[in-house]
Amino acid sequence: MTLKLPVFADDILSLFAGRSTQTVDIPVIQPADPFLDMAGEDLRRRIFLTESETGQSLCLRPEFTIPVCLRHIELASGTPQRYAYLGQVFRQRRDGGNEFFQAGIEDLGNADIAAADAAAIRDAGDTLSMLLPDAELQTTLGDQAVFEAVVAALGLPDGWQTRLIRAFGDQDQLDALLAGLSQPPGDVPGLDNEAAALLNAGDETGLASLIDRRMDATGYLSNASRTPAEIADRLIQKARFSSAHLDAKALDVLKTFLALNAPLADAPDALAAFARIAGLDIGAALDGFGERVAALDGTGFDTGSARYRAAFGRPLDYYTGLVFEISAQGAVLAGGGRFDRLLTLLGAKTAIPAVGFSLWLDRIALVRARSEGDAAQ
Amino acid sequence: MSVTIAVPSKGRMKDDATDVFARAGLTIAPVGNDRSYRGIIADMPDVEVAYLSASEIARELGNGGVDLGITGEDLVREDLSAADEKVEICARLGFGNADVVVAVPEVWLDVDTMADLGDVASHFRSRHGRRLRIATKYWRLTQQFFSAQHGIQVYRIVESLGATEGAPASGQADIIVDITSTGSTLKANHLKILSDGVILKSEACLVRAKSDRRSAADEAIMAKIADRVRGLSAA
Repeated sequence: MTLKLPVFADDILSLFAGRSTQTVDIPVIQPADPFLDMAGEDLRRRIFLTESETGQSLCLRPEFTIPVCLRHIELASGTPQRYAYLGQVFRQRRDGGNEFFQAGIEDLGNADIAAADAAAIRDAGDTLSMLLPDAELQTTLGDQAVFEAVVAALGLPDGWQTRLIRAFGDQDQLDALLAGLSQPPGDVPGLDNEAAALLNAGDETGLASLIDRRMDATGYLSNASRTPAEIADRLIQKARFSSAHLDAKALDVLKTFLALNAPLADAPDALAAFARIAGLDIGAALDGFGERVAALDGTGFDTGSARYRAAFGRPLDYYTGLVFEISAQGAVLAGGGRFDRLLTLLGAKTAIPAVGFSLWLDRIALVRARSEGDAAQ
Repeated sequence: MSVTIAVPSKGRMKDDATDVFARAGLTIAPVGNDRSYRGIIADMPDVEVAYLSASEIARELGNGGVDLGITGEDLVREDLSAADEKVEICARLGFGNADVVVAVPEVWLDVDTMADLGDVASHFRSRHGRRLRIATKYWRLTQQFFSAQHGIQVYRIVESLGATEGAPASGQADIIVDITSTGSTLKANHLKILSDGVILKSEACLVRAKSDRRSAADEAIMAKIADRVRGLSAA
């Protein structure tokens, strides 16, 4: 069965065209490495992989964000740019088809973070309101930057901060970490006497040279993988954070934060109240959050349908600030967020702020069909 | 109607499997000469024995090509997606013991747990310009363990079809996921198993392919064979 372009595709493209975008064409066949590098090996099971005659890993386009960014870097098109796309994506799914249409906008290089975030949410929301005039749309927002600020303000050592931030958006991982943080501190296990003595003395140089000698003696190259200095440095840090644990009060603060769930209009006040009661200095992150809400208000977006949920995030290391999704009838129809780290990870020479969203056209078509069915009755 | 049992075609696995069946009162005799790839079981005319390689046995169990098979649990879980929907382990046989483990260089003094490894993986790209590389032939088990169980997403798998334990020293990969029975090969290559790095404690198993098209008579024969082998491992 060939997949037909959704009847509303042109409506989407003309709406996008009115939002200062240029439409890009992205080849269906893509090199697989950038996707696996960015999203991780777990993606391998979910994409359609093949190999070229020369042994290069290729895949059918599983999404648009990475190829749009790669194209931008390659063409050195200059910023800011707003790219729009609409096309098929291919993923192995247990439920639903393996090929479906997505459309979206990637906004690259706009230094006005609040305005760019607001525009992404507004454009996604406007497209859905146009396609689903009768549906009740719910928008959920999270903010990685606020979470990172809370974790940093709690005074956790860097190792724990990294772990918590990495787990953000994955409730099970987060729960396991919180349980670990309430345990009393332990020693660094698995060390021999010589290394333990150097560690107790805090002798980083001594540790590095011990590791270097051992690499030499065991035939490991000291420059092919982790270096002696890197291992020694992390060992010292680990000794520091294995003696860290959150007291009951700080753990409560973190849990209270993660449980925050408020209408978006009330969220700046709720966050400010939380920070005041907890005694945390997270002003800069809260300012950014407030500016975004104000900017969103200014676009005419109906913030009444939006909620902020503190624990909402995505456990991928290139997301940085805003994450959001819009759903109707229990199905997520649009997902988006800010990924300021992605372009440098993909090879851009300078940091390029980026935010975007993607619409699931197959799910939108389902909701439309349902409401047409209701109307016919 | 008949029942096909797949038995490893060579080496220790073949001898141990034949021995387990013999002790369960099921004597396998090759058809024709000793090197034949077909066999029969005395007193069970409806049973055919097929000698296959251990990993082919796992695959054939998954697609219903054989009814029963003796193979390692590691191969079943690696080669089959949704293994528990396709096959059932009837009995653990107490031989072919081997653990699938995550091992890192001994000189990684700071890495003792999967959480440590997660920290290292998350910083790897910014320090080295590439993701952490894992050499393994166990793609599926590695992905499940790292991604689903430990939430570690950022790594790359380098396929290794032999001498995996040498990959870190030679710089092909940073760490490995491999099978070990005594740990001596890992030790000889200056690798250590993470304290929570045992992915699977594997051993040879009698495995049944699930099927809803089998005759009741065949199911009864299979149940009888499984019962006899189970009786043995309970004793």
